[in-house]
Amino acid sequence: MKPLWVAALLMSSTVLAAAPPQVVALPSKSPLVTFRFVFLTGAAADPAGKPGVAALTAAMLAEGGTRTMTYKQIVDALFPMAASVSEQVDQEMITFSGTTHVDNLEAYYSLLRTMLLEPGWRQEDFVRLRDDAVNFLRVSLRGNNDEELGKEVLYNQIYAGHPYGHHDLGAVSALERMTVADLQQFYREHFTQSSLVIGLAGGYPEGFLQRVEADFRRLPVGTGREGGVLPAPRAIQGLRMLMVEKNTRSVAYSIGFPIDVRRGDPDYAALLLAQTYFGQHRLSGGRLYERMREVRGLNYGDYAYIEYFPRGMFQFEPDPNLARRQQIFQIWIRPVGPPTAHFALRLAMYELDKLIREGISEENFERTRMFLTKYVNLLMKTKRAELGYAIDSRFYGIPDYSTYLRSALAKLTVADVNQAIRKHLRATDLLIVVVARNCEELKKQFLAGAPSPMTYNSPKPQQILDEDRIVERWKLDLKPENITIVPVDSVFE
Amino acid sequence: MLRWIVLLLVSALAALPAGPAGKVFPYAYDQHDFPNGLRLITIPTDYPNVVSVFIVVQTGSRNEVEPGKSGFAHLFEHLMFRGTATFPTARYEAVLKSMGAASNAYTTDDHTAYHTTFSREDLETVLRMEADRFQNLDYSREKFRTETLAVLGEYNKNSANPISKLEEVLRDTAFDRHTYKHTTMGFLRDIEDMPNQFDYSRQFFDRYYRPEYTTIVVAGDVQPQAVRALVEKYWGGWKRGSYQVAVPAEPPQSGPRTNHIDWPTPTLPWVTVSFHGPAYSDERKEQAALDLISYLGFSESSDLYQKLVIQQQTVDELEADNPDRVDPCLFTVFARVKKPAEMDAVRDDILAAVNSFREKPVDAARLEAVKRHLRYAFALSMNNSEAVAGSVARFVALRRTPETINRLYEVYDSITPQDIQAVAQKYFSDSSRTIVTLTGGKAQ
Repeated sequence: MKPLWVAALLMSSTVLAAAPPQVVALPSKSPLVTFRFVFLTGAAADPAGKPGVAALTAAMLAEGGTRTMTYKQIVDALFPMAASVSEQVDQEMITFSGTTHVDNLEAYYSLLRTMLLEPGWRQEDFVRLRDDAVNFLRVSLRGNNDEELGKEVLYNQIYAGHPYGHHDLGAVSALERMTVADLQQFYREHFTQSSLVIGLAGGYPEGFLQRVEADFRRLPVGTGREGGVLPAPRAIQGLRMLMVEKNTRSVAYSIGFPIDVRRGDPDYAALLLAQTYFGQHRLSGGRLYERMREVRGLNYGDYAYIEYFPRGMFQFEPDPNLARRQQIFQIWIRPVGPPTAHFALRLAMYELDKLIREGISEENFERTRMFLTKYVNLLMKTKRAELGYAIDSRFYGIPDYSTYLRSALAKLTVADVNQAIRKHLRATDLLIVVVARNCEELKKQFLAGAPSPMTYNSPKPQQILDEDRIVERWKLDLKPENITIVPVDSVFE
Repeated sequence: MLRWIVLLLVSALAALPAGPAGKVFPYAYDQHDFPNGLRLITIPTDYPNVVSVFIVVQTGSRNEVEPGKSGFAHLFEHLMFRGTATFPTARYEAVLKSMGAASNAYTTDDHTAYHTTFSREDLETVLRMEADRFQNLDYSREKFRTETLAVLGEYNKNSANPISKLEEVLRDTAFDRHTYKHTTMGFLRDIEDMPNQFDYSRQFFDRYYRPEYTTIVVAGDVQPQAVRALVEKYWGGWKRGSYQVAVPAEPPQSGPRTNHIDWPTPTLPWVTVSFHGPAYSDERKEQAALDLISYLGFSESSDLYQKLVIQQQTVDELEADNPDRVDPCLFTVFARVKKPAEMDAVRDDILAAVNSFREKPVDAARLEAVKRHLRYAFALSMNNSEAVAGSVARFVALRRTPETINRLYEVYDSITPQDIQAVAQKYFSDSSRTIVTLTGGKAQ
């Protein structure tokens, strides 16, 4: 019942939104009211030479003062309601979200509206938030989180020279040169009615949504969705490796290449099923997880993705409103001990090759299809997520996500999945990012290609030992000119 | 214009209620004790289709009393996924997968929780499979040794973050005898020795994976009577155990302590200031008052946050942690400082903020704002069945009933500015203080 109900609502809200801004409304009897204001712009629209403008502009709105209130006054006003305004910036979406108890709806909304429509642009807020962005890149990402570092470097490198080619938060040197005027200009040009989708869910009163729409018609009209035609990312030729030299205990890998599939494309469900089978995020049923962690104890987990999924080490489900017109296929190998690092990489590449050569069995296909058909319920377990997914569905031009996915899965055959695997996945022409200490030493090992046998702390079945004989000699077709080593302090600078 | 808007806002806030109407835990629930000591708490919610089961075992790193066995409760959390005769790991995973279920587990100082969220038609299968592994877990020595490596892998992935190290050193410095001396992850030396502890692992299971240590929380689209019947069917035959752990009491700290960590790579410095605090209670005011102090003194709306983060901008992260624990634990203020030269000044500002609670009663209106914040924060967190079950699990680990949530919030409501001052005077003494700092290394 629910998907139809949601679809009906979406249709009715489409009628409502004949003039911008667009509206996605999910009314219910909940005592909570959730807002999601999504602007269809983002880091990909950062002006040339100024990566980070979009993110810092969003931060100034959500974590800075307004024309009439200091940030301190805003925090003090929000505090008794236990409410907040959060921003999320990605390449093509900037989201402001928050939830309030309906008791506090008027007070909360008046703050939220003022924050988004009447930013204060104070220099002291700017300096604080710019410091936060720089410290996020230098300390939280580069210094304290090897796994997220590897993933973000992979994206940066795959999209080098492309509008997606910098971190959502920018680069340190550009942030240090930025001024408030840069942000004001970005705000004027990109925060418009036609780039805005207003999302509202929960127990708000009648007439409230229309008031919100009217309030946000104060934004400039704008010219519609941004970005024009996105160029294709540069083709990757051969096996490329970017090694990030860092004083760290373990070796973290991220592996990937661009794919031509996103929600709404005919092969989306097939490729999603393949990815789920191969490495469903943070669940223990995936092939990679089973072969690398469960059978061999190489690390804490191993997963695969066909959509951008930042902050994966902190959460089980992806955040909505990270919709992109271009995506990559990605493998995430959680840190492995240096003695088994070479073997772990070989095993991941061996499994990827095997997936492409052998495909998925009928039994695994049925099991994974059943998983996804039900798991989609869990993705929508909060109104916040349901609203976010509904907005993403607008972006991709599909019905509500659960209806879309279930219907596509129902029509799928194992042959479709295996064909999609062969068409879109590959074990060559890809980039491997390595975060490690002694990269030169590791590079020598990779290039020498000598066997890297595993030793275990307990007996293993013969079948595993036989497979190890193949994996320990698995050829990584790396050439010296295709391996680059960079010091960690140069990344995101 | 400015004054008009601010006035309007202030009057809107003044009209806010003190919190959501009714009890803070708003759900009617069914609490049932089985003869073997197992407790079941069923919470029907308004969220359709989905059900979330949390199985809470009241054992955590607190129970690791023997030397060399730190980290064992957490290792055991991993072992619980290593299968039984009926559901070997591969079959267990296959069934979970066919249900589209999200399943995981976590371990804390005091408890271990196993949680699965799924569609309501799969409730019986979940309760049956979970009952089987809690009663018939059967892993081989080989699987045991392999799994210990995954735990080492978890330590490795945590090791890039200085916060893990700070917590490790802070506990080790502040505690002498109590098992809170080590973190849930355990000492690295003990993790490295885990492959040799197969026999102890069986003993651990025999001691603690027993009905009298276990509470099942089921929240979502369910009927209590039906859940009770299923739990009776699959868990009713589970045998009660007899083991009781003797956790050594921590003697009073006799003087201030300090420690420092030289972090090998560049990072921003940290200053932490800790005091020994009380155990969790839903009757006494002390722990609840320290919770309120953590917000009054160190949250985003505090004077210290305003000074260090917003005005001076010498600190970019400031918060206080006052965990609810079975035994007395630590009240800790964490600050990430932007420049090493500012660390002493930040430490002194934290100590001054702590002292201010000892010296004079807090402003009554501020105290009411914090109480209102806590009530709304709890209401906002109850936004799906998994969140409801998860919140209850945390409290069940302490008192085995959701009612403790309502009692705790009644205690919050009863706290006066004078109570806050009295608690600060009792717990914020120099002799029970531990300061741990961390500074980063040079760029390569």
